[in-house]
Amino acid sequence: MVVKVKFFSAFREVFGTRERDYVIPDGARARALIEAMADQPERRAALLRGSNLHPHLVLLVGGEALSSRGGLEAELRDGDVLAVFPMLGGG
Amino acid sequence: MSDPSFGIHGKILEIDLSAGYVRVRPLDPSLTADYLGGRGLATRLFYEAVDPASDPLGAENVVVLAPSPLIGTSAPTAARGHMVFKSPLTGFLGTSNSGGGWAWSFKATGYDALVVKGRASSPVWIDITPEKVDVLPAGRMWGKDIHALTDELTTGFEPAARPRVLGIGPAGENLVRFAAVANDRNRVYGRCGPGAVWGAKNLKAVRAAGRMKTRVHDKERYQSGYEQAMHLIRQAPVTKRLLREMGTAGLVELINVIGMLPGRNFQDCTHRDEDLEAVSGETIAKTILERAAGCYLCPIGCQRHTRVGGKGEQAEAGEGPEYETVVLMGPVCDIYDLEAITRANYRANELGLDTISFGSTVACAMELAERGLIPPAELAGLELRFGRAAVLERLAVETAFRRGAGALLADGSFRLAERYGRPDLSMSVKRLEIPAYDPRASFTQALGYMTSPSGACHLRGGYAVSLAFFGGWKEIPRFSLLQSPIAIRNMQNHGILQDSLGVCRFTGYAFGSEPWSRMLAGATGLDFSVARLEEISNRVAALERLFNLEAGAGKLDDALPPRFAETPIIVAGEERAVSVEIQERMRRDYYEVRGWDAEGRPRPDLLGRLRIAGRRP
Repeated sequence: MVVKVKFFSAFREVFGTRERDYVIPDGARARALIEAMADQPERRAALLRGSNLHPHLVLLVGGEALSSRGGLEAELRDGDVLAVFPMLGGG
Repeated sequence: MSDPSFGIHGKILEIDLSAGYVRVRPLDPSLTADYLGGRGLATRLFYEAVDPASDPLGAENVVVLAPSPLIGTSAPTAARGHMVFKSPLTGFLGTSNSGGGWAWSFKATGYDALVVKGRASSPVWIDITPEKVDVLPAGRMWGKDIHALTDELTTGFEPAARPRVLGIGPAGENLVRFAAVANDRNRVYGRCGPGAVWGAKNLKAVRAAGRMKTRVHDKERYQSGYEQAMHLIRQAPVTKRLLREMGTAGLVELINVIGMLPGRNFQDCTHRDEDLEAVSGETIAKTILERAAGCYLCPIGCQRHTRVGGKGEQAEAGEGPEYETVVLMGPVCDIYDLEAITRANYRANELGLDTISFGSTVACAMELAERGLIPPAELAGLELRFGRAAVLERLAVETAFRRGAGALLADGSFRLAERYGRPDLSMSVKRLEIPAYDPRASFTQALGYMTSPSGACHLRGGYAVSLAFFGGWKEIPRFSLLQSPIAIRNMQNHGILQDSLGVCRFTGYAFGSEPWSRMLAGATGLDFSVARLEEISNRVAALERLFNLEAGAGKLDDALPPRFAETPIIVAGEERAVSVEIQERMRRDYYEVRGWDAEGRPRPDLLGRLRIAGRRP
């Protein structure tokens, strides 16, 4: 299946693009997508701390927090859009 | 009672501009124990002094400003002041907070609070030093903008002895109901219209030149809290780096992705990605940002010092825009022109306008005009419709001077919309304009706006985005009816604590109450356990509610405009609105969580437990 990833802020430089489609096995969980994205040391460092998601990240699937769908164990569907932001604050 | 110099001077400065007296009265130590300082103490002193039925623009309104016991120590961000007054925009509690150095300088003159009553017969300004307090004529300052006023009152001093100025611009003088009071040129007490209250009192400025030190009672205890706080600020990504790099407008694209970024007077939340990118924090950082900076004593540094217009004659420098300004003057008006937003922001800073209420009122006028509800003749030749970036700067100036079409805007969106028969087109709660997070995209945020004591405000009402998306707090799903009332109560209470300590909301991205408890107890030598701080927040919330009830507020004032119940938006693929039934249920549960009755009145047993003696039942 294909999951579109949209990069924001500094992640655009880390990943060298604004968005990219990743092909992962049908029924795969978010962990498989993150592993596919972490294809270089710098990208891995931006996404993961050890085997967990980096605490600086805000990941949104279809406008909802990935964490609310189970984080790395979230089930993804074909056509999902993942947005990658640094943790922001303000208002 | 501890030594007065340990965070508390024990003195209130009271000035009656009608009677022409200045007096110093003792601060009852129990008020510090029960209300802390800042927002808590200011609310208590205001409540004692004001008639809730008073005309907000009359001599009988009272303005109270309070720093906190922590101000004057090294505690991170602890230089903020809090102002309480009756709001000319809402008719209810006016409560507004600002960074900047004035509160620090005022505290260092030897007082714990400033109470201003009455109305001067001609313009005055107040000069406060540790030695004396003078009320002086301000005739030649009247009409000056905030920057010129600040320059006039701060020149001729050595940098180390430079006083701090808190004052109003033309918007306050002209009684614009959302006029701000500013210090350090661009740091504003923005919400609820304090500038108009000052203008009505003929009060142009208060200058403070203090040097008194705040001594720390128990250095070891204070230091343990301080070090933990600084460690966590340097660890947390938001406070360590991201706010400095991106400013608060770094949020623009994220808030859009979660479906919460309002457009066209909250008619929808749909924007083109490229439009938003043009006004994003990243674009600001890459194009107009000259430097980031922090408020006085702030290690976080979200301020944007910017320059627009290249190097030619049209070039100018100033401060902003931050997130709220970008969105309210931008997408809410269907405008995605960063330069136009920034220039209008500069004018708002100089003239003294709250950018949230201003932007929303412009959007309301645009919708009324597009619907043909404002006769063109009343727009003084201005072509007003969504997307017209050219009107922003002109309207900021005209509003501040109540000229041209700006005269229509100067009383805020509710009175504007009411004048043309459609009060439902004002996007406000308690007549205070809604900030840049659409309440349909989060029940939690909706409840925060409904129950904020000042009307729709993300700072007094609670900020749901950080609950659902930023971590730090226990994660709360944004459409949870069950969890929203408790979550909002908790956030509001933490906000009351921060405002009463004189510290910035953004410290909440790094740590909660525990380090503050140790710094405060260490500084003052008084018992300020976390449980005690929570009790103080509950007490302040109850007292704020009492004032609003006495000023005529009822359950139906704790409600969103009809648009949010009737017109759904799409959030994460689903239609979302906040129906009247959902509002009713959340409001009922929130009242219950607060210990209020079904009409939103704090129950007698709660008032007894909190030792609040209300004026009337």
